[in-house]
Amino acid sequence: MFATHACPPAVAGLAAAACVFRAGGDFYSRMSESTEDRSEIDARLLQRMARGDRAAFSDLYDRFSRPLYSAALRILGDARETEDIVHDVFLAIWEKSAAFSAERGTAFAWAVTLTRNRAIDRLRLRKRRGELLGASVPADLGYDETAGTTDALVFKEKAQLVRSALAALPAEQKQAVELAFFGGLTQEQIAENLQQPLGTVKARIRRGLLKLRDALRLHHD
Amino acid sequence: MIDERTEELASLYAFDLLEGAELAAFEAGLAQDAGLRALAHELRESASALSLAAPAVTPPDWLKSRLFVSLAEKSHPTNRRVTSLAPLAWFPWAVAACLALTSAWLAQLYFSQKSESLAQHEQAALAQMEIQSMQNQIEGEHILASRQLADLQAQIKANGDLSHLEIAKLVSLLGHSPQARAIAVWDQATQQGVLTVENLPALAADQDYQLWVIDPKYPDPVSGGVFTVDAQTGTARVAFHPGQLIATAAKFAVSCERKGGRPKPEGPIVLLSE
Repeated sequence: MFATHACPPAVAGLAAAACVFRAGGDFYSRMSESTEDRSEIDARLLQRMARGDRAAFSDLYDRFSRPLYSAALRILGDARETEDIVHDVFLAIWEKSAAFSAERGTAFAWAVTLTRNRAIDRLRLRKRRGELLGASVPADLGYDETAGTTDALVFKEKAQLVRSALAALPAEQKQAVELAFFGGLTQEQIAENLQQPLGTVKARIRRGLLKLRDALRLHHD
Repeated sequence: MIDERTEELASLYAFDLLEGAELAAFEAGLAQDAGLRALAHELRESASALSLAAPAVTPPDWLKSRLFVSLAEKSHPTNRRVTSLAPLAWFPWAVAACLALTSAWLAQLYFSQKSESLAQHEQAALAQMEIQSMQNQIEGEHILASRQLADLQAQIKANGDLSHLEIAKLVSLLGHSPQARAIAVWDQATQQGVLTVENLPALAADQDYQLWVIDPKYPDPVSGGVFTVDAQTGTARVAFHPGQLIATAAKFAVSCERKGGRPKPEGPIVLLSE
């Protein structure tokens, strides 16, 4: 499913990883922390999980649960369903940990894909798209400031960078990209929702995502 | 060189928006083009980063506990790493041996399970028969209990009907007929009664026996009517209904009176309740 990707060299062991702030993912980790550290830590945790190490599972949960929960809640808009989804996703990660390969993508991207797919499946099942997508993305994308852990602070920083990159997009591209990620719609449904031709919507998604990639890459560089 | 059309497909692929033939064609292209794979990977990572754009919410603390409870119910994940093996000369024989062993094991498993299945089937049939037998027994006991209950209810009803009746035994005051006796049954509610007489001597044609109800409320006994007895058996069964309201039927008496009876006793008392 994922494209092949050069695996970053392992430059940090678990001892070093303990000193590194905790967050999940590849792209956001480039922004203030080496990709190698992030990817290596996540991959090693999954390897330990594959051997039945529940402490590693606990660590991975601490790293990923907040962004996965937030994304699922943004898609579903329902806390109870979100809890079920996140619970099921982490169980799936545990069960499939042996099958994970860093060459096919980062652990965080894998976890996000699992979460998003399940949330969208649930959303489609509910057939409540109109209700949930009627409103545009909330103007206040503020982070949960009450969370004072290291993970929370790291994610606050990462989230602000992603939001800044998103906010820098032209409005129509931002809207198309957000609908594509959070909406759980097909191409045609996005076009219908935006009342634009399908070709226009595809172009907006392409331009928006490429700009997002470039913005995050620029920050990293 | 990746053109705009391919970038567009890669972007849609990053959001899982490709379907059907379009998806299949793109994935076929991925398998052949390292540059496309790199682009798809970057865009997938960028799309994943969008998850951080969602308003951040802390999951409830108990979610982790719930997760570990669920985890405790599951076994450890299977390590599915594939170890690469160098080709060996004996590999085909090993495969054949494995197949043979597997076949034998499967055959044994099949017969074992079949035997076990038959045994379970028989046990299930026996259990079913036992259940049916118990159901029949329960049904029989239910019918019997229903009948007993109906009988008890009828008995209770009858007892209830009789409970308010007053029964008095009248004994003979006749020296020549000491075996004469009578039973008076009195229903206070309906002010009616029945008198059953035995062994009372028949009277002359100008005489009648007269029944009296003695109620302290009245200075004189209240007449319950006149009657005669069968000349052969000395028996009589008389339903009576006093002409006055009886408050308390303290005693019953039978006297010998002139034909047609008298307003109050004038003749000798032949029977008197105890």
